[in-house]
Amino acid sequence: MKPHVMGWDREAMDVKRVVDVFRVDPESVGNGTPVERFPDPELGTALIPAARYYSPEFMKLEWERVWTKVWLLGGRGDDLNEPGDYICTDIGKESVLIVRQADGSIRAFPNVCLHRGNRLRPEGRGNAESFQCMYHHWTYGLDGKLDHIPDLCTFHQGGPPGMTLTALPCVEWNSFVWFSLDPNVEPFEDFIDPLKRHLEPYHPERMAWKRDVTVEWDCNWKASVDAFSETYHVQGIHPQLKWYLDDVNVQIDCFGKHNRYLIPFAAVSPRVAMPSQIPPAIQEIMVHAGMDPAEYEGRVSDIRRDVQLFKREHGAAQGKDYSELNDEQLTDDYHYTIFPNVSVNVHSDDIMLFRQRPHATDPNKMYYDIWMFELVPEGEEWPERVRHQTFKHGDKSIGQVLDQDAFNLPTVQTGMKSDFYPGLWIGDQELRIRHFHKVLDDYIYADGKQPTDL
Amino acid sequence: MDLGLSGKKAILIGAARGIGYSVAEVLAREGCDIALTARSEDSVKDAVANLSKYGTKVVGKAVNAKQADDYKAWISWAIEALDGVDILVPFTSAGGGMGSEKYWYNAFETDVMAVVRAVEGVIETMTEQQRGSIVLLGTTSVSEAMGGPQPYNAMKASLITWAKQLALWHGKNGIRVNVVSPGPIEFEGGNWDMIKGTMEKFYASQLRQQPMGRLGRPEEVAKAIAFLASDAASWCNGSHLVVDGGFTNRTQF
Repeated sequence: MKPHVMGWDREAMDVKRVVDVFRVDPESVGNGTPVERFPDPELGTALIPAARYYSPEFMKLEWERVWTKVWLLGGRGDDLNEPGDYICTDIGKESVLIVRQADGSIRAFPNVCLHRGNRLRPEGRGNAESFQCMYHHWTYGLDGKLDHIPDLCTFHQGGPPGMTLTALPCVEWNSFVWFSLDPNVEPFEDFIDPLKRHLEPYHPERMAWKRDVTVEWDCNWKASVDAFSETYHVQGIHPQLKWYLDDVNVQIDCFGKHNRYLIPFAAVSPRVAMPSQIPPAIQEIMVHAGMDPAEYEGRVSDIRRDVQLFKREHGAAQGKDYSELNDEQLTDDYHYTIFPNVSVNVHSDDIMLFRQRPHATDPNKMYYDIWMFELVPEGEEWPERVRHQTFKHGDKSIGQVLDQDAFNLPTVQTGMKSDFYPGLWIGDQELRIRHFHKVLDDYIYADGKQPTDL
Repeated sequence: MDLGLSGKKAILIGAARGIGYSVAEVLAREGCDIALTARSEDSVKDAVANLSKYGTKVVGKAVNAKQADDYKAWISWAIEALDGVDILVPFTSAGGGMGSEKYWYNAFETDVMAVVRAVEGVIETMTEQQRGSIVLLGTTSVSEAMGGPQPYNAMKASLITWAKQLALWHGKNGIRVNVVSPGPIEFEGGNWDMIKGTMEKFYASQLRQQPMGRLGRPEEVAKAIAFLASDAASWCNGSHLVVDGGFTNRTQF
């Protein structure tokens, strides 16, 4: 019996069985996504103060020291296919236009007219030849330069400096576009390091939009990041997933600003007895891979490995190029948090990404963006772009698992304000939460202030 | 009431867990020698080890019921190991499944043919002995709809018909054949355990239909099987006993 990859005592956990899972040899992955355990950072065991989830002062610090300083996910490159295609995305009190240029590059600038402060475009996507303010028809080119001010001669001071909107840093990486509100932000390469090597092998550019939803959630954005940063809650709020994934044999890695966990999928949790019948959700995995569960002669415990081998053998014939992925990646969930607000489940055939944005004024609210993408097999037609939907917490189902995730968050948010709740009491299975808050603290308290100062 | 099971020799197929294991436990406790099998070597080993505490002879070996030759050889081995056979209860089942034609073949092989081969494997010895008791497993899903149109339900129905004919045919040789049809039975690692975890609403809807407000336990079916297998049921032949806590709506006229 191998020890648990995180060093936990598997027999002492609340499990029914001790399970050894197949893991790929770290030496064998070549240039692909690294699988080896990264050394754990020294993070201690202190409380994470609850005030940061509801205090307006902390929210202000986050705005000044995090949201306006980091790289932020803006959208997908394939929404910017033609010159003039733009994405208008809001973050806090700001709104940003990311625009495809005639030369194929992208540019970003604040979505605000320099004349009287009107928004140039509502949030969303579109195509424009120029950005003309509705109010007085000040007109900006795709590059953010002021092309025309009606009656410019009546402005004795002339046009605004440089006759241009502020150019915001933006880059396109791995089919996604990123921007920053900080003109002096560190190079994107430094910020994203070391995730390029981790995520590029998935080739998200071969995947098409499957779902594009924004829900206004009644909790602080960090409560959502936390919720997606640990698998400890599976045995709590997702009982059905115990017949779908192994929430005990999870590897957690923290590196730089970002972190991840690796969860075996197509597996049965050690927390329940091994069934003799194939669980329905695992059958779905098999069917999706092109296998017939009725034909399967192996044991339920062998399915994960057999799905990997099947996909390895038949992927190419199905128009799915898995050549840069290791066997584990053909079934498992590699889940990354890209600081500060992107939680992304990467799979060989799809990506399920959550972007968690703060509310502009209320620390008790946030915007939860669900972006799902699905691999388009070679030779198949690229599907039509799905429509973006917006709604409020609880108005509409977002699927069983995410509904379960969402269900608790408003009561977490209210509970955290209790005088009897000092802060988060975090265990090792929640190491990523501790790491995330450490990185946050590094931004917030960069000037030497202590976390306990607020 | 003395069941008269002490010293009887029982062959139990698919008996490493669930109702099958529970029958093994009841019979061992009553003093039966037991030969059992299942597909997984580990679970057979565990079952044999756990049953040995009752002090009777318990032997076991894994076999795949779909491998007809190995399977027949296992039955001969079991008869030899026990030096005869008084009781046969085959529990083999491929379980539910819908959508692929292959489920029909799986159910035919595992639910029907594995049972047919087991019966045919013991009938000669039982005939020589002029005694024997066979209990086949049906399901309440043969008489009332459950889980959609599935091979499982239809194939299980065929066993009930066949069991009655066996009873008529072999009665003259002192061999009784009966059927027990359990309703939903819950145990750790069983289907209803998984359904409870994965399909909470469906599970709850089934629970509401249970007159006693719960699902059955394996030992509650095992005791009914043990009764029919025993000499205490000497006048039960060709019967079909529904053991479901009253779950089925129909009246058993």
